[in-house]
Amino acid sequence: MLEFFHTLLFSTLEAAPPLVFAAVGASLCERAGVVNVGVEGMMRAGAFAAAAAALVMPTPLGVVVGALAGASLAAVHGLLCIRLRSDQVVSGMALNLVMLALGTFLLEAVFHSSSGSTPITQLSRLSLGSIDAVPLLGALFNHSALTYLAVLAPLLAHWALKHTRWGLRVRAVGEQPQAVAAVGIPVGTLRFSAVLLSGALAGVGGAVLSTATLDHFEHHMPSGLGFMAVAAMVFGRWTPLGAAGAATFFALADSLRIGLASSAPSLAQLVPGGVQLALPYALTLLVLAVQGQRGGAPAALGQSFDLERR
Amino acid sequence: MKNRLLAIAPSVLAVALAMLLGFVVVALTKGVSEAAGAFASMFAGAFGEPSRVDELGVFAFLRPWGESATKATLLTLTGLSVAVAFRVGLFNIGAQGQLVVGALVAALAGAHLALPAGLHAVVALGLAAVAGGAWASLAAWLKVRRGVHEVISTIMLNWVALRLVEGWLVPGPARAQVEGNNSINGTDQVLPGAELPNLFGESSRLNAGFLLAVGVALALLFFLQRSVRGFEWKVAGLNPHAAKAAGVPLERTVVQAMAVAGACAGLAGAVLVLGTEHRYPGTISAPWGFDGIAMALLGQGHPLGVLASAVWFGALRAGGTRLQLAGIHKSFPELIQGVALVLVAARAAWERLLARAVRRA
Amino acid sequence: MIALEHISKRFGSCVALDDVSLTLSPGERLAVVGENGAGKSSLMNVLYGLYQPDVGQVRFGGETVRLSSPKDAVRRGIGMVHQHFALVPTLTVAENVMLGHEPLRRGLLDARAAREEVVRAAKAAGFALDPDATVGGLTVGSQQKVEILKALARGAKTLILDEPTAVLTPQEADELFASARALSEQGTSVVLISHKLAEVLAFATRIAVLRRGKLVRADLEPAKTSPAELAALMVGEGVALDVPTGSGVAAGAKEVLRLERLEAKGLARVSLTVRAGEVVGIAGVDGNGQRELAEVLTGARPWTAGTFTLLGQQRSALTPADCHALGIAHVPEDRLRDAVVKDLTVEENVALGRHGAAPNARGPWVDVAGRHANAVTLMEASDVRPREPLLRLGELSGGNQQKLVVGRELQGTPTLVVAVQPTRGLDLLAVAEVRRRLRQVADAGAGVLVVSLDLDEVRALADTIVVLAHGRVTGTFARGEADERELGRRMLAVSA
Repeated sequence: MLEFFHTLLFSTLEAAPPLVFAAVGASLCERAGVVNVGVEGMMRAGAFAAAAAALVMPTPLGVVVGALAGASLAAVHGLLCIRLRSDQVVSGMALNLVMLALGTFLLEAVFHSSSGSTPITQLSRLSLGSIDAVPLLGALFNHSALTYLAVLAPLLAHWALKHTRWGLRVRAVGEQPQAVAAVGIPVGTLRFSAVLLSGALAGVGGAVLSTATLDHFEHHMPSGLGFMAVAAMVFGRWTPLGAAGAATFFALADSLRIGLASSAPSLAQLVPGGVQLALPYALTLLVLAVQGQRGGAPAALGQSFDLERR
Repeated sequence: MKNRLLAIAPSVLAVALAMLLGFVVVALTKGVSEAAGAFASMFAGAFGEPSRVDELGVFAFLRPWGESATKATLLTLTGLSVAVAFRVGLFNIGAQGQLVVGALVAALAGAHLALPAGLHAVVALGLAAVAGGAWASLAAWLKVRRGVHEVISTIMLNWVALRLVEGWLVPGPARAQVEGNNSINGTDQVLPGAELPNLFGESSRLNAGFLLAVGVALALLFFLQRSVRGFEWKVAGLNPHAAKAAGVPLERTVVQAMAVAGACAGLAGAVLVLGTEHRYPGTISAPWGFDGIAMALLGQGHPLGVLASAVWFGALRAGGTRLQLAGIHKSFPELIQGVALVLVAARAAWERLLARAVRRA
Repeated sequence: MIALEHISKRFGSCVALDDVSLTLSPGERLAVVGENGAGKSSLMNVLYGLYQPDVGQVRFGGETVRLSSPKDAVRRGIGMVHQHFALVPTLTVAENVMLGHEPLRRGLLDARAAREEVVRAAKAAGFALDPDATVGGLTVGSQQKVEILKALARGAKTLILDEPTAVLTPQEADELFASARALSEQGTSVVLISHKLAEVLAFATRIAVLRRGKLVRADLEPAKTSPAELAALMVGEGVALDVPTGSGVAAGAKEVLRLERLEAKGLARVSLTVRAGEVVGIAGVDGNGQRELAEVLTGARPWTAGTFTLLGQQRSALTPADCHALGIAHVPEDRLRDAVVKDLTVEENVALGRHGAAPNARGPWVDVAGRHANAVTLMEASDVRPREPLLRLGELSGGNQQKLVVGRELQGTPTLVVAVQPTRGLDLLAVAEVRRRLRQVADAGAGVLVVSLDLDEVRALADTIVVLAHGRVTGTFARGEADERELGRRMLAVSA
């Protein structure tokens, strides 16, 4: 039994970071009033760039490249939504489609493979030797540094929103951009910063998949995790802590599913795997249906801002 | 007429520019003549090969057209799905889920109902449309009754549909009976009477599904532009408050439009199963539903625009398989489509440029 | 001393400001008056750095200054209180006040310093405000005080008040002007943007008049002018702005509408009647149930208790479609939101609401020719220009859009007309025209119910004034029965 929970804890800590990074990033972007359904594409960019870069540089630097790739895609999103005032959902979906095709295309062009990239050195894991074997406590170790960063990221984001000047302004600009413009803060630049940060975080989330979870980029990455991150953000009512909590919950549910499949096969027969896989999404829908209305969404979410509009 | 031309200009320019960008990238990496050759073979695979008329006869055209049309059909139907939802102001990101649901229902109805040939196909199509419509109506219901934004709910419904169908039903209860030692990934094969007939026999895959897609596009065009109900959809989409004040039953309108949108996507799933795959395969690997978003936007929400962009990109995709020979991955046309979509998303910039050009002219 | 020199500003083809020059001295109380669209707000937005003038310059004490954003203006001591508050409802008073010039301690927000600053500034202006209250939960009057604090906390030496009393009760307005006067006596210059002539004359030390983007006068002294002179300068010619009082309600005229103890969300036990030929004006401070009442009457909001009698028939529910069938015309407050669709053609908009019946439709299909002919007729009758039924509605001017809406709604013979803020945003000529039309349908036998936040409008139009406060009827008066003070007390629901 103890072993079961040990494994559950360990695999949750392995599965959660990609979702946590992406969901926290999405919450920052949307708090600034810019819809981000392009998380999936930004994660894919991060996963590919990190795996490709880690071939020619140390893997941790590869992760940084992944963050930059996510941020560059986010820069396009920012350009389209903020500067050109395109529809934010359209822009996000367009970037997803581009990355879906570009990922496959580059995989073929660079690695001459349709399934996965050349393996790299995986990120090293924090091992404390014998403590790793201690039940439960040991499950907290033997993870890559990104897992621990994923614990820090939501706390840091929450703290930044609450206690920094940038955070106050981001909270304000998602609710009332006119108010922010009226006191002389450039709305576009402020929003752009949040969009870039969100892209970088999504990029790191993708990089986790290709440098820590696995040791290469797989053609289907991130296979819907980006959309799940958006769900987690909505579930968490557009706050970094809520988004991270929901992301962790989704990861836990997934680990539980895998754990139960091996330790209690009879349950898997009772509730088929596919049904369990559908549960996080169905649950998000249910919660939204129950809480109704906009459920904590920033008031100016999705609206472009034009200073001299008459 | 001039206005109409100006209206479609951003889409046409975006596609042309995306194609040009694609060409330049290939030319820079592989050389100009290779790029020209690759594009020529892509077009041959898409639209036909005049050079092989002696050898193949009409099939020098009919065979590529068949490949192009199968892809164009799916793109048209999912594109119409997204476009119809746009008409009432909803963003249907859920065409993929609606397509999956429709495909499964069509596969089951095609394999397990006993009906006369022809009628069987019609019933299977109809049931798939109803299933897709019902699935989409869930999102509409959540929107009008609970205020849940449709972008979020359709994304969620996509994954619920995909996990339930491809993670549970298809590999589980709905899986085909094992025939001898061959285990089959997917559902039972549909009965011949439920298949969509090929229009030119075995040598071209051009099937009745394409006619269905064109028919749906024309019917929607007529409905949206000439019927009172279609006018109400337009008003509801452009200004829901004014629609409500004008006596348009807003909630009903939204649910109906979303149901029609879902029906289109469900039909796409049915055409895929009844026309091409003849069963629900283990997975539907291509994101047809998401491509529908691109078609709707490139086609500017107009049924004929959707049809035009679907035919163009369907053909390019069919031709894309020929690119393999030139060492270019077959996902290249999808990349072009994605870039075109980003360029269309940047419409505001185009329109400003065009307006300036027109003023100068 | 601030000087605006030869300022011009265009938006597309529309000239908002045309060679305007204006000065402002310390401690002065300058009123800038003009009709809607005369350029008052545009001029102030130039001074506040929100708009860049196409031509002209701004000087501070002789030095030419480029105000490229509000930040530059704030640095020069300009503070602006916007007509639509620029406040973030989810943030606290202190957070709103510090936004844009946040006090920092070791790089982080210093919440305590922000709070102390609010308390200090509030004391100086004589306001009672809790710095930790969420702004969204404050009354409109208190929100305006937060706006003023924002300006003062930034060291404003010049305070621009843009239509500050539009959302206030007369009592709240008095309080505001008392504070502003006190501030000006401490050396702050105050610019008041308004088109309410009474308050301008009572408050300002100097009055400037704008008309269609041009400065007409900049040197009027309140003691030496009159509302009549100001109105004439604003409009440009000697226009008769009086609304003809109707022939009055005939004794024994039949009741068009009777509400008894009606309950709905936002409304409590509302009773009122509208008789044929009568104009009933609903007075009240914004957000006290007027909008809800209009929604109930036009089928957009259900009622939960009480009786609703229309033309002698009691009804249990009403939908917008019923309203069209029963002849209830609706001129909504925000036409671009509730009455028309800016991306449809003019003729489609004319059809809207009757789009399912002849001449606009034949069976389930649109009758394109019939719709076109009907639109041509209506545009002719209501003098909508230009006469192009296929033009996108958004390309018509606001006045022409409103003429279209009024014309469409008064088409046929309405039994009841519900008009909400029917003249908001129109120039004085159009205002007079709309008021005349409303009077005219009343005289033709319809019941007319006018909701307006402008007490002068209600007093000018209505045969009967009904005051709403907190969703309840707090007073019903016949024409001339109550003065402004009495109405103000009723609007606040305080007993004398």
